[in-house]
Amino acid sequence: MSGLLILLSFLLFGNLLQSGLDLPVPGSIIGMLLLLVLLMLRGKTPESLQNISKVLSPLLPLFIIPVSVGIVTQKELLADNGIALLVIMTVSLIPGAIVCAAIMMAGKKS
Amino acid sequence: MNNFLQQPLIAELLHTPLFWATLTIGAFIIGQRLYHLLGNTAFLPPILTGIILVSVVLEITGISFNTYMEGGQYLHLMLGPVVVMLAVPLYQFIHVMRKEWLRISLAISLGSAATVGTAVAMTHYLIGIPEITTTMATKSVTTPVAVTLSEQLGGIGALASAFVIVTGVFGALLVPPLLKATRLNEPKAVGLTLGVCAHAIGTGRALELGNEQAAYAAMAMSLTATLHAVALPWLM
Repeated sequence: MSGLLILLSFLLFGNLLQSGLDLPVPGSIIGMLLLLVLLMLRGKTPESLQNISKVLSPLLPLFIIPVSVGIVTQKELLADNGIALLVIMTVSLIPGAIVCAAIMMAGKKS
Repeated sequence: MNNFLQQPLIAELLHTPLFWATLTIGAFIIGQRLYHLLGNTAFLPPILTGIILVSVVLEITGISFNTYMEGGQYLHLMLGPVVVMLAVPLYQFIHVMRKEWLRISLAISLGSAATVGTAVAMTHYLIGIPEITTTMATKSVTTPVAVTLSEQLGGIGALASAFVIVTGVFGALLVPPLLKATRLNEPKAVGLTLGVCAHAIGTGRALELGNEQAAYAAMAMSLTATLHAVALPWLM
């Protein structure tokens, strides 16, 4: 349970910093980066964090379903632009994939 | 059907927040079962089945999204701590990438910039609605981060989730054959590219290809999400 307490404390702190300093980065991301710094300073992940991570990770997609269901409020937009959006998402994969893989293999014999 | 929905007890149930929270969990479990039944195929992630099932129920019952969200918010609330939790895998991957950090950083930053840049430019010229362009910018980061980020940037959270999931499914489908055709199919390259272009769904696909691919995909997914979450707010 203390793992959850750590996560919530960092989330709260991240949110406070975000609104206090008026940062454009979401509070949860700031909390995540602060936790990352703490882990790097400590040199290992506390057991309580590992445990909560094991419990919550498989449930991650569940927590995203509610906001995703909001797609039902976007029917008009999808009817007008659905095909264009699918084309954009497909075509834009090609340059990304090629650049990424080419850099990974540059200068190595295949 | 309409008669049935108008029964007082049923009508009351449909306006009970707990009913919608329960239904969402049930839909997710059905999604997981279906996913395992189909041999863990990357093309039908449990989240997609869950979203479709809940949306269909809302459509049939005529319940509004706002009423649904009175129950859905209990699950939605967990999104914050879960994003903070991403520090745990990220910390492990930073260790792993020390050997090839320059190559990996370049591949992740330039590769994701290429796919997001293309998508944002195309959305701007083909559709030209600012909220959609902003939302499209978050398409290559894992869903919890994309939703949080697009809402912060003035995009549409629900749309961000749809873009990310569609990108993930298409990426998982197209990246391996594309890299094979261009002979860029060394395991590390394929894994990293799947993580950058198709985030969690790509990582699922990478797991089918091998352990090395999966490790690089998971690392690339975490790093891309972090990089974009920090960089996009200043760029958009």
